[in-house]
Amino acid sequence: MAVLRRYLPTAVAISVGLFVLLRVFLPIGLLDAMGVYFINMAVLIAAIALFLGLINVLRVHSRRILDRQPQWFFSFVLMASMLIVLAIGLPALPGQPAGPAQPAVRWIFDNIQAPLQASLSALLVFLVVTAALRLSRLRSLESALMLLVVLLVLAGQVALGLVPLLANIKDWILDVPVMAGVRGILLGVALGAILTGIRLFLGVERPYGD
Amino acid sequence: METIGLVLLLIALPVLFFLAARVGSGETGQLRSLPAAREVADTVARAAESGRPLHVSVGVGGVGGSVTAETWAGLTLLAELADEAAACEAPLVVTVADATVLPLAQDILRRAYDRHGHPEGYDPTRVRFVAPEPLAYAAGVAGLLKREPLSGSVMVGSFGEEYLLMGETGARAGVPQVVGATDARTLSLVYATADETFVGEEMFAAGAYTRRLAIQIASLLTQDVARWVVIAAIVLLTIFRVLF
Repeated sequence: MAVLRRYLPTAVAISVGLFVLLRVFLPIGLLDAMGVYFINMAVLIAAIALFLGLINVLRVHSRRILDRQPQWFFSFVLMASMLIVLAIGLPALPGQPAGPAQPAVRWIFDNIQAPLQASLSALLVFLVVTAALRLSRLRSLESALMLLVVLLVLAGQVALGLVPLLANIKDWILDVPVMAGVRGILLGVALGAILTGIRLFLGVERPYGD
Repeated sequence: METIGLVLLLIALPVLFFLAARVGSGETGQLRSLPAAREVADTVARAAESGRPLHVSVGVGGVGGSVTAETWAGLTLLAELADEAAACEAPLVVTVADATVLPLAQDILRRAYDRHGHPEGYDPTRVRFVAPEPLAYAAGVAGLLKREPLSGSVMVGSFGEEYLLMGETGARAGVPQVVGATDARTLSLVYATADETFVGEEMFAAGAYTRRLAIQIASLLTQDVARWVVIAAIVLLTIFRVLF
């Protein structure tokens, strides 16, 4: 039984992964059908996982409220908001669609959630400034170099053509060293992802099993 | 394009096994120094000594999308951290932004406590599904970093610009942070706020630095070989283009 528990998840993961991968490389009808079937299964499992997420939110925040942990009131607001949206969105009203398309749910999304998210996005601007200030406390040669590049790019950006040399320096920095660095990172990430996939297929890294 | 992928895969596998054999016999296998990997090991020790929880995030992505590899790298690192944390009874708080990652992260923690003989130490609410939207997730984690007395924060996975909400809050609260991301724009924000950084591909190597299995080390060496092949191809094609 212990052997089964140890190897069964790995065997299932490797077999399903191989079917889906072979479907990409080999145009065989049966493989294609099986690949599509497994992908549909994954979508279904993801939907069930969302339900588990809901239960997790309820468990974590109800415990915070019951234990009167610091700032428990925010947990209360979160749970109340969640339950109100569920209560409004779940039942299908006559002549109206249920779920996210329901007018009341759309109103909540357009007038509460969207403005809140926009406010958080706006907050990022101020956080960029404080992060830049933190960066200005020189820690190493690397951070000094980064600060210098940031200042040059900023100067090139705000010069607005008044000082052509600064604008040219900015363009060169963005087009040559920055682009080269970004491409290097992207190539490295792609190779790393491929090798991670191979390790996964070989069952070397399997966070899903012992 | 699919054929190229298949050919690359078929070339990579024998190279991997050849290098794994060499690593196994001790002929090669020296890993480069990776300060972020050393810092990750220290974070668990700090959590065990202080009794304060260590926060772990596996990013805003899930399993099954375009950022599965990044999420998987985060989960692999979580598995290593959970194992060490269960061994020395260091408390962990794991936050996730995708429902598909929640059962995986909970299972990783549960099995770590099982393996170390104290299953009662596992608390499923130590893994928290914060929010499925990246910005909402970042706001939730920022609250956690500010509110809870954490010993450190390890965030490895897929992050976008919303990272700054968490990273800057953590830096202001004085929480030691080790962060890994693959997005180039996010990396600049990470560099400004984190104590140590896994830059791009380094996050995929984090597991190998902890467990040091021959096949893991060989996969990193294979990656190096592939990198040199790509560099050679770029140089040769550039010369070819200039000449002809």
